[in-house]
Amino acid sequence: MENRAEASARNDQTARVGVYICHCGGNISDHVDVESLADKAEHLPGVAAVRRNMFMCSDPGQAMILEDLQKGVVDRVVVASCSPSLHETTFRRVLERAGVNPYMYEHANIREQVSWVHHGDAATQKALTLIAAATAKARLLQPLDPLRVEARQHVTVIGAGMAGMRAALDLADRGFSVACIEKTPWVGGRAAALDRVAPTGEAASDLILSLARRIMQHPSITFYPCARLVGFDGYVGNFSLDVEIVPPEVPNDEELRRAHEAWTAKEPVFVPSRGALIAPVPSTPQRFRLETGAVVLATGFRPYVPKHGEYGYGVYREVLTLPQFIEALRDTAPQKGSTLTIDGRPIRSMAMIHCVGSRQIPGLHEEGPSGHLNEYCSRTCCAATLFAAAQVRERFPQTHVFDFYRDIRTYGRGQEEIYQHAAKNKVLFFRFEPENPPQVQPFDGPGGFPLTVSVQDTLTFGEEVHVPVDLVVLAVGMEPSDIGDLVHLMKLPVGADRFLLEVHPKLRPVEMATTGILLAGTCQAPMDIGECCNAASAAASKAAVLLSKGFVTLDPFVAEVDAQKCEGTGACLEACLREGAIRWVEGQRNGQTVRHAEVVAALCLGCGACVAVCPTGAIQVKGSTLAQFEAMVEAIAAEVAA
Amino acid sequence: MALVDINFADELEQFGAPKTLECFHCGTCAAICPLIDQHFPRQMIRYAQIGAKDRILERGAELWRCLHCGLCTQTCPREADPGEVILALRRYVLHHWRSSDHV
Repeated sequence: MENRAEASARNDQTARVGVYICHCGGNISDHVDVESLADKAEHLPGVAAVRRNMFMCSDPGQAMILEDLQKGVVDRVVVASCSPSLHETTFRRVLERAGVNPYMYEHANIREQVSWVHHGDAATQKALTLIAAATAKARLLQPLDPLRVEARQHVTVIGAGMAGMRAALDLADRGFSVACIEKTPWVGGRAAALDRVAPTGEAASDLILSLARRIMQHPSITFYPCARLVGFDGYVGNFSLDVEIVPPEVPNDEELRRAHEAWTAKEPVFVPSRGALIAPVPSTPQRFRLETGAVVLATGFRPYVPKHGEYGYGVYREVLTLPQFIEALRDTAPQKGSTLTIDGRPIRSMAMIHCVGSRQIPGLHEEGPSGHLNEYCSRTCCAATLFAAAQVRERFPQTHVFDFYRDIRTYGRGQEEIYQHAAKNKVLFFRFEPENPPQVQPFDGPGGFPLTVSVQDTLTFGEEVHVPVDLVVLAVGMEPSDIGDLVHLMKLPVGADRFLLEVHPKLRPVEMATTGILLAGTCQAPMDIGECCNAASAAASKAAVLLSKGFVTLDPFVAEVDAQKCEGTGACLEACLREGAIRWVEGQRNGQTVRHAEVVAALCLGCGACVAVCPTGAIQVKGSTLAQFEAMVEAIAAEVAA
Repeated sequence: MALVDINFADELEQFGAPKTLECFHCGTCAAICPLIDQHFPRQMIRYAQIGAKDRILERGAELWRCLHCGLCTQTCPREADPGEVILALRRYVLHHWRSSDHV
């Protein structure tokens, strides 16, 4: 009751509210009687002007508001239109342009909450109620200042694959200090297991080395091998990361030992399938804290591992995955003769099967141990498969290649030619339906082939075709890396496909819901190396935009303590959901030192849990005070008839 | 059921069709072919690709309906020369007809 008295006492009798009602084409005006609504709204307390427009968000609509504000007809604004998530920012900007504090604004949603769900008189009545409530709140609005927090000129990149390296370099070149933490001793990620890369045919090792050299030499990049994130705290501009370094057992890892011996501070040491060594392998465990402004996640992917017996995988030694085959093909060169030899066995005929572990269909494919199906297309396997197929045909013309596909799309610039090229090189295609996938079985016919691939081939008019082969290669899809610990630690949103989820796939494609955390590369979705680098450069740009001013502005809708009213009960500290957002400080009251609560604005979530428990009403969320809410409730209860 | 003969395309090369495997089954040849049969010449070319000799010999007579008008070869987007494949198949069937039970 005390609060209510206060509310009316503080009710700003001089406030001049402008109410702007949008027709939204006919979206609103088809169901809400906008004309009578405007007439009624004029009589609401505190309203100085009511106007209507077909599209309030249009330039003429905005100009109408701007003019009223500039002429002083109104000093605060209520727009009744669509959802605030669409245009609240638009209208706040109008206030800014008029030289009025942008927080003297209230939004009434009369589209999603009214015209899309109610019809007739009831709709008009509810629209009026919402406008009355918004107006009542608007009368009590106070100018607010956006929060401004210092931003460290430092970015941490997690993962040193192609995407991680690319992001680190872009940021370092823009003048930021960069820490790059990588859980293995190597840089290069999955690309290190590749040979030549489609569509241009560059060596993957060259791509890795060109970035690795620059990382090594760049004075602003600190690379931490064998490092993992173990603690995460803070907010945009001011994150604290705890990093743990666990040295690997070098003598047990022959390749690592040799690379480590060969390492000098001058050149990276490249080891196929492992990566490039660009820093000495740490010898002692260590734990330290990184103070950083933004975090770029570049944690990558892992190839799908077929289940035991899936297309004969794990049952017949002649069945390999595409990554295994690429490594085998790379390691066999140079070879004499025109027939490919793998493990000493001549490969006269080989089958490649697409979409293994991708585009899986519920009810048709068996779920993995985690209960998941990979329903997405892995995007890169078609091009990689056909690129490998064409390489085989060119280097070993006596080796026949048979390609079994559900659908083929070597999407992307310069990649369609790979398909053409493979077909020109006499790769023979078979097309199957998902419910009739190829069967890999032992072969006892002529020629001494170990296996046969049988398929109901839609290209041969649905006939069952048997292909005798020496080798089967499974084009496996991509799955996200196992980063459950990071997801838990940093509270990262994960999509239904288990990849990390951006805020919006088109409008904010490399940002996460937590400002200051960005996505680069295949931790977000299957991508090829070019796309990884695109995404990494985008993430680097976003991080730079966030931090480059040296400060970050945040919405001011956070809790605030009235030190004069706070009696130090501590209820707010107990109720607070965000650790560190409320703390004790000492202050003076009536000449005495007293302890009272204080809000750390940058950490506050603005949830209001503290407001609900404070016995003295000393804590309020700015922009949503109890007085404002009470005024809204009273306006709703007043039941103005539409 | 057909067992793919991985050497048949090479064999057909001796009969004058070096590009059999370059066809990717778009169906343009069958669409433009003035013969009524729905899948001619595409189906024959497919049999040639997978080396389904029995199918080719069984349906050998179809090959002689081709007028060699050349429309398929003209329109083939892969320049796989379908008209030439049909002629090579005729030569192949002729070569084998005495020893086969089909003709």
